[in-house]
Amino acid sequence: MIVEYHRPKKITDALKLIENIEGNVVLMGGGTAIDRFSTNPMVVVDLQDVDLGKIKQNGKFLEIGATATLQELHDYPDLSKPLKQVIMREATRNLRQVATVAGTLISSDGRSPLTTAMLALDASLTVIPGDETISLGNLLPLRDQTDETKLVTKITIPNNANLAYEDVSRTPADLPILSACVAAWPGGRHRIVLGGFGAFPALASDGPERGGEESAARDAVSQSGDEWASVEYRMEIAPILVSRCFRELDL
Amino acid sequence: MNINLTINGKDHELTISPGDSLLTVLRATGYVGAKHGCETGECGACTVIVDSKPVNACICLAAQAAGHSIETIESLGEHPDQGWKTTPGLHRLQEEFVLSGAIQCGFCTPAMLLAARELLGRVDTPSEEDVKEAFSGILCRCTGYKKPIQAVLRAAAAARGEELEPIDDRLPPPVDWIGSESTEDGDIPVEMPGLSPDSGGMLAPAQVMPKIELIPETEAWRSVGKPEKKVDALKLVQGKPAFAADFERRGMLVAKVLHSPIAHARIKKIDKSKAEKLPGVAAVLTWQDIPRVVYSTAGQSDPIPGPLDTFSLDNKVRFVGDRVAFVAAENEEIALKALSMIDVEYDSLEPIFEPEQSLQAGAPIIHDEPEYINFAESNPEKNLAAEIRIDIGDVEQGFKEADFIFEDEYRVPKVQQAHIEPHVTITYWDEDDRLVINSSTQVPFHARRQLAPVLGLPIKRIRVIKPRIGGGFGGKQEILSEDVAAHLTIATGRPVIYEYTREEEFIAARSRHPMHIKMKTGVKADGTITANAMYALSDTGAYGGHALTVTGNTGHKSMALYVGDGKYRESPNIQFYADIVYTNHPPAGAYRGYGVPQGFWAVERHMEKIANELKLDPIEFRMKNALRQGELQPFSTAWSEGREPRPETIETCALDQCVQQGRAALGWDQKYGNPAWKTIPGKPNLRRGVGVALVMQGTAIPYLDMGGASIKMNDDASFNLLVGATDLGTGSDTVLAQMAAEVLGVPVEDILVYSSDTDFTPFDKGAYASSTTYISGAAVVRAAKAAAQRIKLRAAKLFNQQIDDGTLIADDINLAEKKAVAPDGRKIPLSDIALDTLHHSDQEQIMGIGSYVSPVAPPPFAAQFAEVTVDVETGMVVVDKLVMAVDSGVIINPLTASGQIEGGMTQALGYAVSEEMVYDEEGRAREIDLRDYHIFHAHEMPELTTIFVETFEPSHPFGVKAVAEIPMDGVAPAVGNAVFNAAGVHIDSNPVTPEKVWRELQGKK
Repeated sequence: MIVEYHRPKKITDALKLIENIEGNVVLMGGGTAIDRFSTNPMVVVDLQDVDLGKIKQNGKFLEIGATATLQELHDYPDLSKPLKQVIMREATRNLRQVATVAGTLISSDGRSPLTTAMLALDASLTVIPGDETISLGNLLPLRDQTDETKLVTKITIPNNANLAYEDVSRTPADLPILSACVAAWPGGRHRIVLGGFGAFPALASDGPERGGEESAARDAVSQSGDEWASVEYRMEIAPILVSRCFRELDL
Repeated sequence: MNINLTINGKDHELTISPGDSLLTVLRATGYVGAKHGCETGECGACTVIVDSKPVNACICLAAQAAGHSIETIESLGEHPDQGWKTTPGLHRLQEEFVLSGAIQCGFCTPAMLLAARELLGRVDTPSEEDVKEAFSGILCRCTGYKKPIQAVLRAAAAARGEELEPIDDRLPPPVDWIGSESTEDGDIPVEMPGLSPDSGGMLAPAQVMPKIELIPETEAWRSVGKPEKKVDALKLVQGKPAFAADFERRGMLVAKVLHSPIAHARIKKIDKSKAEKLPGVAAVLTWQDIPRVVYSTAGQSDPIPGPLDTFSLDNKVRFVGDRVAFVAAENEEIALKALSMIDVEYDSLEPIFEPEQSLQAGAPIIHDEPEYINFAESNPEKNLAAEIRIDIGDVEQGFKEADFIFEDEYRVPKVQQAHIEPHVTITYWDEDDRLVINSSTQVPFHARRQLAPVLGLPIKRIRVIKPRIGGGFGGKQEILSEDVAAHLTIATGRPVIYEYTREEEFIAARSRHPMHIKMKTGVKADGTITANAMYALSDTGAYGGHALTVTGNTGHKSMALYVGDGKYRESPNIQFYADIVYTNHPPAGAYRGYGVPQGFWAVERHMEKIANELKLDPIEFRMKNALRQGELQPFSTAWSEGREPRPETIETCALDQCVQQGRAALGWDQKYGNPAWKTIPGKPNLRRGVGVALVMQGTAIPYLDMGGASIKMNDDASFNLLVGATDLGTGSDTVLAQMAAEVLGVPVEDILVYSSDTDFTPFDKGAYASSTTYISGAAVVRAAKAAAQRIKLRAAKLFNQQIDDGTLIADDINLAEKKAVAPDGRKIPLSDIALDTLHHSDQEQIMGIGSYVSPVAPPPFAAQFAEVTVDVETGMVVVDKLVMAVDSGVIINPLTASGQIEGGMTQALGYAVSEEMVYDEEGRAREIDLRDYHIFHAHEMPELTTIFVETFEPSHPFGVKAVAEIPMDGVAPAVGNAVFNAAGVHIDSNPVTPEKVWRELQGKK
């Protein structure tokens, strides 16, 4: 149950609010993930007026404001085509208008194509106060334990990495049963991430050289059995999807 | 808190709760065009435009929307003719939705229109893919998206100043059309479409009408057979208050239900005292508070053909989701809080989740209540809700005469109707202390009759009103929400609304019966079927209202199609046995197709295997054994939904033409058995395949289903047509109006249809069993003919007054173009006759009433084709194309009928590849929202083609048979067969998921 609603105008106001409010504070980007029907009292701090939605190039990186919507990121002129496709795969048009990038990363599960891709890109999140930077890979397992007085301000991804994404699902627009995403940097580094199961996607490998991708992919899904697919299936298909990603990347 | 919302350019100062959604506030403020379909933004029925962007109002807080510009459907356009006031009229998009047949139930129509307007605001020349993408966030369970997409493309073209082809233009014969006439040398000319390099789903924007092969009888008709606009289309495109939840009452309470978290338990103790003390709570009801009346929630004719095994509230729960308590409160938040304050102590009992376990000796008994009332062979001590044993001919002898015996087992899953409008009921006492139930029901008259004892009221003190329904598909043939609201209105004296959440739809509504089916078929080497046997173990879940009738139809239709050939055709050997058992799963019930899709999955997969094993052409094998015109429906002498069976002859069957047209439209002959086509250059992991399934359904229940209609003539020669028939979005009101218009010689817009209200309209059994056009239509024709006869009498009298020696009688008069026409060509406007009748001389009210019950249930037939691409590395299946050629008798309205086929195929497509309801080891549902329960979205739809091959069914005045349910039957097996054609593996359970295909491929390796 939402008992209070606040819409601060500035980041400093937002920080003051979340520091001073007693009770369960919920930071709201687009609001798509808020459970209005929870009987636990919630105080919502709506960040729409806080200026955190800009997307800009910064050297070799793309900085995505935390409240930038999926559609705004999709429409960003210099965004790579594979990442655009991943965003389209993440959510339907209506949801893309309000769902924010940070909100998606904070609330999604392992079936999220965007989180899978962002993890492959080794995205990092900037958190205030303190301007602390935390990698998405480090954040995902700790999302339930994050400090409620902290606020994500931006997500940073490299703009020189190539990306390939593949998945298997029951229908073309259904949630993936298994997904694979490979990001490759000019220097040879590549990161392989498997998604489609669990609380968050799994990093299979991160290294400078090819080799061992198949076993890394299998290892990453070795505990992935759930009500949607067996471990056996995922262990067989994961290397196939990873291999397809590498082919797409001409690696 | 106070906020200011700018809605359609107008500022509203509002006091809201911080947790109120924008949807709640919009609807409370009178903008009811935004609909509630879910609470998670998955269905998109609540779409509004916020700052020029489509947004789901259900997941947007009202406070969040403050300071933004909100546009709702109410801003788009309005009725062009409002008396002395002129308006700009409808928006072009609204007009095209009306003309193109893009509206069925209309529940998602406002959302689609707003999404389309947003699209056209940024793209002048949208592609089909653009429109699909714009619709991606809006689920439609009725249309299959094809006609809404076409409507948007037409509107865009019109906006660009392009000339549009009229909707009602007869299409020139398409290049792939096969003529039905034989050539001089007796051969059927066969023109095949060229092979497209890309079989992906593009549509022809201008081709709104389906392919249709007309019969001569229809050519002289003026309304019947024409693509008339839906009679309810105008209100639906404007988002007018038309659905049950749109009719708010002053002082209305909100009802919520506490559902059981345990699959099987006795309620040891229940304490509601804390909940009752919560401010804003008006009533809390448990099983101790209301009369203990056993009944069935299945809306069916009297006597209910199933056991009475349900109580509004009981001291025992039988599935996760079963009812425990009802709450009525001032608002939803308080009601939810109150639910959490009810203390319940359960005494857990051993549950049953496997139907096989239900029948075992010593199994827990799910229904041990003494009030249980049996029907036929139901036996609660054995957990048996129904049992069926049907023997036609001698199957054992047939098996002995066979060269080969084929035996196999198949499984079909539990699936959900997933109508976008949830179950919703508003109840209140009227000024005469009669209980009014305004409900999204398919069965208003059954609901009234069946609820009367449950509520302790005589039938005459209950009035059930059915407004527009946002889809039902059988789910609203069940009486689920009405008693909850009614009990709470009785308890509080106040109006109450009870609206299911989407989660409640999944855990506490009804679903299709899952079944384990065994097939045994005897076949001679030449492909003649000598005997065919099916055994179905059907899981009715915790309650068995539809246990007997649904599963009976599994055999009655699917096992009737293949009778054999030669002497077996004259005397087929068919056996259908079934046990329908209780388990602690949520109850199954009626769902479009009513047991038949389950049967055809098994039968048509089985036929494919037999054809393959015997190296027979799959179509020729089927046609050799299929039922034909003039033959007896073999089950008609053996079973009739728990009532006395009577023989029925198949008067019309165009299955052979359906096969020819369908195979041509798909390009079957170029693709089936063509290795070059099956592979895709550059994509070695992909294989293409085609599959077919032949199906039949029924049309109403003979000697039982009755529909009534009355027609009243007004001063201006318009007519009020009152029907008890229940248009649940199918367009039945429109086709009934077309039939009345045809008889009365007036345009459809002069027929004012009202359906349905137990106080004002004649009885009708409701919308199920594919019966409305046939049964209610025949009743309408009888009523119209009675009214027409009176009009003709009055006309003859007036004509005779014009000439001294006039001797005209009623039968000399023809009614056409709003006039009575004498044989010599003289005409009198019907409005003159109306004025004469009501005001001038020998005054009388011209009325006609009619009712109809049929002695037969003429089956529609269809050939369903599917084309798929299979990834043989991952097992993923993509359905590229569906073609359905249907013999549904005469098509009253090609737009609404083809919409039924397209929407039905789309639902069936989910049954084929994605939809299923899965439970964990404690009976908890995996699927509780539309994220996990995946129904097809616009942007992933395959190409859909509908073909009608008309026949004239002699038992109906306009020659119709049913169209509504048959598209559910063939898609899944056709897809399964296409997967076999593509990848060489048989999948015996649907949905055909990637892992199932992969496992079979592994086995093959």
